[in-house]
Amino acid sequence: MKKTVKLIIRHVVLALLAFIWLIPIIWLVVTSLSANKSIDTTHFFPEHWSLDNYAQLFFRPDTAANFPAWFKNSMIIGIACCIISTMFVLMVSYAFSCMRFRSRKALMSFSIILGMFPGVLSMIAIYFVLKLFGLSDSIAGLIIVYSAGSGLGYLICKGFFDTISVSLRESAKLEGASEFTIFTRIIIPLSKPIIVYTVINSFLNPWMDFVMARLMIKSKSPADWTVAIGLFNLLQRNLIGSYFSVFCAGGVIVAIPISVLFVIMQKFYVEGITGGAVKG
Amino acid sequence: MKKFLNGLKKYFAEFGTSVARGDIWTRLSLVIMGAGYAGRGQLVKGILMTLVECGFFAFTALFSWPYMAKLGTLGTVQREEVFDPLTMTKTVNDYDNSLLILLGGVIGILVIFAFLLLWISNMKTVYRIQTMKENGEHINSLREDLRTLINDRFHVTLLTLPSLGVLIINIIPILFMICIAFTNYDMNHQPPTYLFTWVGLANFKALFTSTTTITFGYVFARVLVWTLIWAVLATFTTYIGGILLAKFINNEKTIGKKVWRTLFIITIAIPQFVTLLLISKMFGDYGIVNGLCSKIGLTGFLQDIGLVSKGLSYIPFLSKPGWAHVMIILINIWVGVPYQMLIATGILMNIPNDQLESARIDGASEFQIFWKITMPYMLFITGPSLITSVIANINNFNVIYLLTNSYVTTNMAYANSNAKEVDLLITWLFTLTNDYSNFKMASVIGIVTFIICAVITLLSYTRMISGNKEEEFQ
Repeated sequence: MKKTVKLIIRHVVLALLAFIWLIPIIWLVVTSLSANKSIDTTHFFPEHWSLDNYAQLFFRPDTAANFPAWFKNSMIIGIACCIISTMFVLMVSYAFSCMRFRSRKALMSFSIILGMFPGVLSMIAIYFVLKLFGLSDSIAGLIIVYSAGSGLGYLICKGFFDTISVSLRESAKLEGASEFTIFTRIIIPLSKPIIVYTVINSFLNPWMDFVMARLMIKSKSPADWTVAIGLFNLLQRNLIGSYFSVFCAGGVIVAIPISVLFVIMQKFYVEGITGGAVKG
Repeated sequence: MKKFLNGLKKYFAEFGTSVARGDIWTRLSLVIMGAGYAGRGQLVKGILMTLVECGFFAFTALFSWPYMAKLGTLGTVQREEVFDPLTMTKTVNDYDNSLLILLGGVIGILVIFAFLLLWISNMKTVYRIQTMKENGEHINSLREDLRTLINDRFHVTLLTLPSLGVLIINIIPILFMICIAFTNYDMNHQPPTYLFTWVGLANFKALFTSTTTITFGYVFARVLVWTLIWAVLATFTTYIGGILLAKFINNEKTIGKKVWRTLFIITIAIPQFVTLLLISKMFGDYGIVNGLCSKIGLTGFLQDIGLVSKGLSYIPFLSKPGWAHVMIILINIWVGVPYQMLIATGILMNIPNDQLESARIDGASEFQIFWKITMPYMLFITGPSLITSVIANINNFNVIYLLTNSYVTTNMAYANSNAKEVDLLITWLFTLTNDYSNFKMASVIGIVTFIICAVITLLSYTRMISGNKEEEFQ
């Protein structure tokens, strides 16, 4: 009897916690279905339900909200970053993990020191540098910003490569394989979890990031924005009254693909982080 | 340090030997870099090397020299527009742009530095080829040289592009911003209209002075304390919370573990800028939470016990110091716990079960097991990442910026320095640059933040890199 009570209490507590954690999410979803465009401060659930916010988002882009364009921009940036970053991370990880050359340790220490500079500090300067190359305010510029420095994030992937048995590589070498062959034919096929982890992470990075995009894109035309800047802009004081529920709808639309990726990634995520953390 | 000096000595000694013992071709390489290769039959490599050299001189002479020449003053000619009434056009004089001078100068110096390194290593290579020739060894043809790029020297191929990216995105901007800290680049000195110039350590002094007009010292001390408190609290609350939640969910008595876990993970999957902006609206002064609180009488109750001042008709969750600080930490628990739970789940599953069982047989209580076995194990594994997340929280821009987007400070000292009570160093830095164009102070704050992070990291990371753990699992 006592056991049953304990069991019930355990699940009630869990349900309560889950409820607290989900309140904002529920609010996001129900508000996105509200017919009232501004914030409803008296009711949690909307008084009148409607799908109009989604319709407005997709089919009626206006001067403030141009969701299709934002989505397209973010998608292009996400895919490009995903390809470049994954390649960079794999390349750097292989060089640091599987090869032995003279300045290896020095380069690794240097990269860790570089990582300690606050990102926000160099953002302004990155803007100036890109401006010098004529790349500021463009999607190509944002792609460079998100992916060029990604080689620095090699630690987790290198940790994974460190666990791949060295005898595999040695026997391949005895058979006369070049380092290039070992990299493409042995290491990469063995590293599926970490590749999935890297791919998804680098795809999500531009979707989640807001600061960098805000600084880089100075254009006043909504068609040039990414999802993050666009949605943030909808909450500015003069727009929030008529766009709040549209913002919520946008949030839901963005969250859906990311949630799906996250569920896929869950397993790899844990493996990646813990694997990388132990073997640093 | 000694090792580094010895390495440096050896580096230049080798270069000296190459010059001293080199024959005519090797010595000619001092001037024409490709000569040493061409003289030994590696004609294509020789031509390529010489082309690189020519490219360097052309770049320096045509692009970076004009900037570097003015680096000492950062420009002297201010922009002037002259309106010519006859032709009805504006003519602009040949003005100096301090920003471009500094940026071009930094890039120019980096290129010269890189060229010097290449030049020295070129001499060594040329000398090595000379000795190989003298000993009658085989000298690689171009094809063979290229082959080493996917074999013994594969790391060069792999690292070139990523290094270039890091150079453009990390190294040049960081050097540039460090330079800015020693100039007077702010709102009143904005290129191209105005010039800025070197001011030495004046900005650093300003950061530590507090008078009635300059309040940076006063604000800096407070922002620093709050940053550190925040970093420590944010890290440990989410860390402990995450472990407890993971233990709770993974307990064998819990039914439907996967469902519970997924419920919490949904909150990570929604981008932070959406959830945080949403929460900041929920807890806004006239937001839905305040609406409910006044309806159930909580606002009145808090006014009676003095937690909310009488003049307010709402609870200032995110708009008054104290309240906002507590709320930020609490909301951060909401943000961070599911993530930590995810990590902790992976680790908890790996705890050797025999340890737990033997402890149980010896009569240890659940509480004892948690503190004596689970926690030490967790700390052992996540120790390094704990340090990383303290650093990450010092630089946690999103949570603070998005939550306190509409916070307005009433403290004049803070307002004077464009800061808010809830600002971290990093958000203060962002506001200074983005809203007030105060680049000089922002750079100084950035450097200070770096030093803090570096000190914390050095204490822990050196052990991680120097320890030969990495080959343990291979």
